[in-house]
Amino acid sequence: MRPELLGASPVHGEAAPAVELQGITKRYGTTIACDDVHLSVASGEIHGLLGQNGAGKSTLVKILLGLVSRDAGQILLHGRPTEIPDPFAAAELGLAMVHQHFSLVNELTVWENVTLGDTGRPDADATCELVRSIGERYGLVVDPLARVEDLSTGQRQRVEIIKCLRRDPGILILDEPTSVLTLSDSRELFSVLRRVAQDEQRTVILISHKLDEILNATDRVTIMRSGRVVAQRRTSEVDERELAREMVGRELSKWVAASALGNLDALVDPALSKDPAMFTAVRPVEDRPAVRMRIDSAVASRDGRPLLQGLTLELRAGEILGLAGIEGNGQHAIGDLLSSLLPLDSGEVRVDGVPVPAGRPGAMHHAGIGVIPEDRHQSGCVLDMSVAENLVLSAVPSVSRRGFVSRRRMRERAEELIERFEIATPSPDTPMRDLSGGNQQKVVLARELSQQPKILVAAYPTRGLDVGAIEYMTEQLHEASRAGIGVLLISTELEEILTLSHRIAVIHRGAVVGEMPRMDVDIERLGMLMGGQQA
Amino acid sequence: MSDTTVLAEERIAAPRGRASSRIRSWLSGYPTLLTYLISISVALGISALLVMMTGTSPWTAVVALYEGSLSTPASVGLALDKAAPLLIVAAGTVIAARAGLFNIGQEGQLTVGATVACAVAIFVPGPGPLVLVLSLLGGALAGAAWAGIAAVLFYKTGVPIVIGTLLLVFIAVQVLFFAVTQPWLLQEAGPEGDVMPPQSELLRTEVWLPHIGEYPGLNFTSGVLIALALAVIVAVLLRHSVWGFKMTMLGMNKLAARRAGINAAVLGGTALLWSGAFAGLGGAVMLVGGNHRLQPGISENSGWDGLLVALVAKENPVFAIPVALFFGVLRAGGGFLASTGVPRYLVDVVTAVLVLAVAFPPAFRILRRTWQARAAARALAQSGKGAAA
Ligand SMILES: Nc1ncnc2c1ncn2[C@@H]1O[C@H](COP(=O)(O)OP(=O)(O)OP(=O)(O)O)[C@@H](O)[C@H]1O
Ligand SMILES: [Mg+2]
Repeated sequence: MRPELLGASPVHGEAAPAVELQGITKRYGTTIACDDVHLSVASGEIHGLLGQNGAGKSTLVKILLGLVSRDAGQILLHGRPTEIPDPFAAAELGLAMVHQHFSLVNELTVWENVTLGDTGRPDADATCELVRSIGERYGLVVDPLARVEDLSTGQRQRVEIIKCLRRDPGILILDEPTSVLTLSDSRELFSVLRRVAQDEQRTVILISHKLDEILNATDRVTIMRSGRVVAQRRTSEVDERELAREMVGRELSKWVAASALGNLDALVDPALSKDPAMFTAVRPVEDRPAVRMRIDSAVASRDGRPLLQGLTLELRAGEILGLAGIEGNGQHAIGDLLSSLLPLDSGEVRVDGVPVPAGRPGAMHHAGIGVIPEDRHQSGCVLDMSVAENLVLSAVPSVSRRGFVSRRRMRERAEELIERFEIATPSPDTPMRDLSGGNQQKVVLARELSQQPKILVAAYPTRGLDVGAIEYMTEQLHEASRAGIGVLLISTELEEILTLSHRIAVIHRGAVVGEMPRMDVDIERLGMLMGGQQA
Repeated sequence: MSDTTVLAEERIAAPRGRASSRIRSWLSGYPTLLTYLISISVALGISALLVMMTGTSPWTAVVALYEGSLSTPASVGLALDKAAPLLIVAAGTVIAARAGLFNIGQEGQLTVGATVACAVAIFVPGPGPLVLVLSLLGGALAGAAWAGIAAVLFYKTGVPIVIGTLLLVFIAVQVLFFAVTQPWLLQEAGPEGDVMPPQSELLRTEVWLPHIGEYPGLNFTSGVLIALALAVIVAVLLRHSVWGFKMTMLGMNKLAARRAGINAAVLGGTALLWSGAFAGLGGAVMLVGGNHRLQPGISENSGWDGLLVALVAKENPVFAIPVALFFGVLRAGGGFLASTGVPRYLVDVVTAVLVLAVAFPPAFRILRRTWQARAAARALAQSGKGAAA
């Protein structure tokens, strides 16, 4: 079925690029998402696409996939001008994409999700076999009979990729595939991509905010800023700082750069600990302030599966406590518990000494706990409501009087937050759905931070943010802690934990197994604790 | 899934050719205008054919419809009276729909509402106006309770709302029938030994809804005003109140609503109760505003049609006003039409055809988009193969 795209028909001696975009322009009202973009990617190449939140990366690849119509410009596939009016056509032409947000149906099994969108009778056995064989070929092992809602984030990402690869695409596009992956999962993904590109001469376009990924995984990189291409480099000829500078348009502080670039060595470098910026960031909280929240021997389970097994944790006013651990050790359950989504079998949660009934809707919220959930796109916002509305949600009483929402006050508040958090949106009334992925994240962050909670739970707060936004986020969390808010930072990325925390606790199998102050961090011990060894 | 489908909708008007494409893109920008015209014309054609099959000329039928509903001030009043309960039911339906709940049992809630309203009107002693108000309230409460059963079934045991509310319709009809066949309940009393029909006695005139205007001028019951006021209130509350904001949030994203501290069972349950209350009130208004006695079939399918009004109005309470009027006109005219020899059920068929005509264009838009996409993909695949060969 698939047109011959792989062998790259040599035109006039020299192979034409697999994908060539010429002068692509796309406007949304007054916003120019893509502005005269030129891009060319060869067969067998992994091409990185880098840029700040709202730079137009997703829009560009959506145009290539026929999901968004362009205003001007031309698409050439293997040197041939091609119209791609819709995703069906793109699939026929051998283009496949892993989207920024999961497009899986949670209630269905893996194989059902894989056949979704096919016409004709689904064949369970054949599809399961297909899932297994693709899994074996690329090292993407996942049980075809498992239900998607039971899978971890990493496994879900695998399903998304299998969905793409089964169509045997000549051109594979991945929009921030690793923003939800753990380190080892993303390493695995990159080895798959290598194989796909080098051994099978496919073309890969990879969008990412993580500079080290771009450097390690890609052959060439294109950098976009405000819809325009500002630089195009051979990856071997650039370094992280140069990429960051091109992307943001200015120099970043060394400290934030190290964290955003995923440079672990720099973060534990003793020389850097003398850096005054770092000193204020990670200094221990003095004279032991009051305990803001205490979780005491929390035990919880769901459908007979244990989630928390006697977890005890203390959070003091004005400190940032980093909860480190390997994905799937109860981080999710802590987030749910503190969002009133999970009742406890035993144990209790106290805020300022007062017990809070776990699992009762809104109880944690009323007790003063704000949560930046890990799946913000799904449960942190309402895509069909406007940006202004999403900036209030639970805080709606603060912009209303006598039971009625004041549109004016809601708008004022929205305008203020949009400016403060540099959210790129045409107007406060724009539907949330139309914002770029990173800007949707910023809306959730802005809302939770602006409500001045007693306690702020931030799960993977920098996920999906660009380097500049990470810098801002870091400052915001520090400021929150200075204002006396207790911050519980949940992350599987050590870099993030090390950059932000004053104190680090390690979670393993639903319990806290050890802790240490940030100043005396011992990476080796941390690693052992995370792996479940006593240290 | 949903993400991708919505994205696909973004690409409607792709710039292709020049002059001719401007018309095409205009059409694709307003696909509804043309498709609405076409589908309504087709519906009228079908209706005309059906009427002709019964041996009446379509023109006679149109004239009869008009005369029954719009020709005189009195018939306009009749149409208004027919529209009022539909609008009340529709306004309630919108509340539940906004919270993401699909109540389809309005017919049952309305029936129970009428039954209880009748009981209150008959058994509660006191001055007329007071009893009238109590009767209306009783109807609303009964409707709410009836919907409340479905809510409890859903939130406690997980019986889907659609199933729960639907099944309760059939029980409600039996409840009414039981009540009007038991002399110790609502059946009207007659001379010893007489077999009485299954209906209640005529309500005393003090508990009738006051009439506005005099025959033969424009006249209608005050139920019309109640309906209008309720539709406007619901529209304002849903759009501007904190309650409406939370309801919308719940309807659009349950998970986010839960995180924001909304108790779905409480807020969703309340929405369902309100929608039941509105349907029950609709039943009460039909009783004290028009029939003045309880009979099986008193609802005249107003519950179902009220639900339809809400659907056709795309769950917008203000838009429901003209839609309810349209239905009211058909109902009033339909009664008159029946007197010209056209079977009454045909009026229902024609109503249904017209509703389909209104519902068709949005569905067609989605269908057409899929067809276009498929065709384009096939064409591209063909050309790709040709070039490769
Ligand atoms: N459907 C839409 N309607 C209006 N504006 C839109 C729409 N889609 C995207 N935009 C705007 O276009 C710009 C580019 O968005 P895009 O999603 O391409 O960004 P991005 O580079 O992928 O960012 P991120 O890293 O945050 O995902 C943003 O300013 C966004 O608000
Ligand atoms: Mg994006």
